[in-house]
Amino acid sequence: MLIFRKPLEGIERPQMPADVVIVGGGPAGMACALRLSQLIDQHNSQNPDNQLTKENIYVLEKAREIGQHCLSGALLDPRSMRELLPGFEQEAPLDAPVSKEAVYFVTRTGKFKLPITPPPLRDHGNYVISLNRFVKWLGSKVEEAGITVFTGFAGSELLFDGNRVAGVRTDDKGVDKQNQPKSNFEPGYDLHAKIVILAEGPRGSLTKQLIQKFDLMNDRNPQIYGQGIKELWELPPGRVIPGQVIYTMGWPLTTKEYGGAWIYGGKDNVVSLGFVTALEYPDPRLDPQHVLQDFKQHPFIARLLDGGKMIRYGAKSFPYSGWWSIPPLAGDGWMIVGDSAGFLNSARLKGIHLAIKSGMLAAEAAFESLKQGDFSVSTGQYQKKVESSWIKEELWKVRNFHQGFERGFWTGMFHAGIQQFTGGRGLHNRYTGSAGYEHLRKLSSLPADGGAEAHLLGPAKGDGKLTFDKLTDLYHSGTKHEEDQPAHLIIHDTNICSARCIKEYGSPCQNFCPANVYEMVDDVEQPNGKRISLNPSNCVHCKTCDIQDPYQIITWVPPEGGGGPNYDGM
Amino acid sequence: MSESILVVAEQHEGKLNRVSLETLTAGQALAAETGWTLQAAVAGNAVGPLANEVAAKKVSKVYAIVSPKLDPYTPDAFAAALKQFIESGKPKLVLMPHTYQVRDFVPKLATAMGRTVISDCIGYKKNGERLVFTRQMFQGKLAADVSFGSEPPWFVTFQNGAFRGDKVEAGASPAPVETINVEIADSVIRNKPQEVFKEAKQAVDLTQAEIIVSIGRGIKEQKNIELAKQLAEALGGEIAASRPICDSGWLPMDRQIGSSGQTVAPKLYLALGISGAIQHIVGMKGSRTIIAVNKDAEAPIFEIADYAVVGNLFDIVPPLIEEVKKAKAGA
Repeated sequence: MLIFRKPLEGIERPQMPADVVIVGGGPAGMACALRLSQLIDQHNSQNPDNQLTKENIYVLEKAREIGQHCLSGALLDPRSMRELLPGFEQEAPLDAPVSKEAVYFVTRTGKFKLPITPPPLRDHGNYVISLNRFVKWLGSKVEEAGITVFTGFAGSELLFDGNRVAGVRTDDKGVDKQNQPKSNFEPGYDLHAKIVILAEGPRGSLTKQLIQKFDLMNDRNPQIYGQGIKELWELPPGRVIPGQVIYTMGWPLTTKEYGGAWIYGGKDNVVSLGFVTALEYPDPRLDPQHVLQDFKQHPFIARLLDGGKMIRYGAKSFPYSGWWSIPPLAGDGWMIVGDSAGFLNSARLKGIHLAIKSGMLAAEAAFESLKQGDFSVSTGQYQKKVESSWIKEELWKVRNFHQGFERGFWTGMFHAGIQQFTGGRGLHNRYTGSAGYEHLRKLSSLPADGGAEAHLLGPAKGDGKLTFDKLTDLYHSGTKHEEDQPAHLIIHDTNICSARCIKEYGSPCQNFCPANVYEMVDDVEQPNGKRISLNPSNCVHCKTCDIQDPYQIITWVPPEGGGGPNYDGM
Repeated sequence: MSESILVVAEQHEGKLNRVSLETLTAGQALAAETGWTLQAAVAGNAVGPLANEVAAKKVSKVYAIVSPKLDPYTPDAFAAALKQFIESGKPKLVLMPHTYQVRDFVPKLATAMGRTVISDCIGYKKNGERLVFTRQMFQGKLAADVSFGSEPPWFVTFQNGAFRGDKVEAGASPAPVETINVEIADSVIRNKPQEVFKEAKQAVDLTQAEIIVSIGRGIKEQKNIELAKQLAEALGGEIAASRPICDSGWLPMDRQIGSSGQTVAPKLYLALGISGAIQHIVGMKGSRTIIAVNKDAEAPIFEIADYAVVGNLFDIVPPLIEEVKKAKAGA
């Protein structure tokens, strides 16, 4: 019997008042906290009689350490950091400035370099970074600035007062597999906040609650996500050129899937290598981790990695579908920043700089409220600030980029081409889109052997040196959770798993989860001989299951704070 | 005063922790190489019998460091008692096993004496006059040689399994035992230990088992575990399992071995129907002898097994049980 995590009812919880609660300590949340601190400091130095305090501003971070759950390629466009901390390049942990970039179209054995790097992928002036290390550093500045960061605390549900977001409830700790308190039980705190800023990253769980409660997406395009699977490789000295950037398109994906690989040269002979698969592929048997393993077998890549060692693995989803998929950004008592809102430029494949800028704008709006003591002001301000900022300017130009690709690779290229000359308009001002999981086709309509996509389907076997099976890869994510706790992947109707999904889609959760959380195990009592079994402590918090399950019956909620992957150096 | 090595043995509730014998083995090896005297100590309240147990091994002298304040264990009391003892006895090298309890008080003890600890060592070397201790870094990817730059006393802890407890030499005759009563002021002790959490008390401590029969998914059904239990019984060992077995509730979680379970290094590890995913291997790769039975010839467990048996465990285990029983009856 699967018991799922649910905040305990009918218990007394500690109540804590707050001015601002920022849920999530990634680049957006940290930039928001830092900017808020700067504004308060500036105000206090000019208004000795009317000081504002930072004591009631909190950042909640579910990982045990700041940055531990941060994963990205990553390339940083320094634009927003230069606004936040001029001269930041002197002290931030940057691996290398981008030195050379190339885009390849790859086939099974060959590759063809695009003679001109498409403008969105030109990275000159950007930096190769490890997001984990960068956020650790940014977090240290936030703490130095006197803002409290609560690590090991997750936001488990929003508190409402009518239609106002009144605060955040943190996770219950010390709850056993049956959702019963253990001897080390600690109830979650109810933080009554004047403003809640949601900075949870892609597919935020509180953001999802908010969107559902107020039907915020009713007039928006659905958010499409990609899943990025990453491995860090340590290569023989001299092989890696720090700052070298390579993008690939094509193999192993077919024209039916959208995605590609990245290879970024870091420092100390470490290279960041990964594959992004858009979660809108048709064959439910597709396994993104398998796609990455296939990719590594390309002669060009195999040669690059020869003699190297894989040192870390991770996966995360990220929002792809641009401006028309961004929900209303603020409301009564709430604001949404970063990937939770969907600020990502899918043509440039960059979102960190936008996350940081959005965090700064939210801080500026929140500061206005703190100053005036009137919290209804800020939320309207934030939306306006974003719409008149370079965030809108940048995202407007690529507002229809991803939707073009929904109809296939070449169609997408065609539309992208036109959009280049029309300021992003393309053939219509707003291209519609459909949710990724809606593209999944039933097994009955697909060739039993997988056809042209066969090499992408099912689990990778791995040779243990260049390619790995999922469990081996997963070990290198360092993921760890308190074992005795309820499952945090809530499946609202497990009968669908054993009665319908297994026949219609072949239980794709086993394939799209990069962490082997979902398994169909033998069970003679089930109609099709199998039932769903969970290994929740394997979870790497990527949110793919919440996004991609064809019946939309999975809700990911944070497990007990402190648990999760250890993305050192990622 | 001649230079001495002090081994601090660990006891819980009147029983010597088996791993202390490993530390004694290390002490004996070091004493032989350096020519220094080897002494041992046991701290607690009524530890007389335990001190006698240690005195049966080849040591020059054993000290029973006693005080009612040392029971129950608190880090403050242990650090204070040992500091007093070490300041008067002045051993050059102090060795301890790297247990949870030692980790709790030795940093405090060393710092209080203005010293540091080289911890979780897997071995040592003698380079001329200098003692060098080896410890692992980055989850075993590197081994670092570390030596002391300060004045003695030098504190070292050794990792479980780094030395063989069964190789400890017995003494020709029992060593003299001296009881040292230490004074510990009440104000020194800041913790008041409460009742031990139920979860912390494990029904079985697999790290103390010398033979382990471990089962994986290959056991297929819960009722087949009985077969593995019979084998364990015949061998005089403990039963354990990889994660899926415990997750299904077929065995309790304290029988789980692996990255999210216990790490063991028994004399013999029998893996039945275990594929050898890396998460399991890290929990048992230190075992002296590994025998793996699996019908998949490509199972990764065979890469670390000393004896690889490719076959169906249901064909192999029943006759194996019989043979073991026969061998034991004949012996």
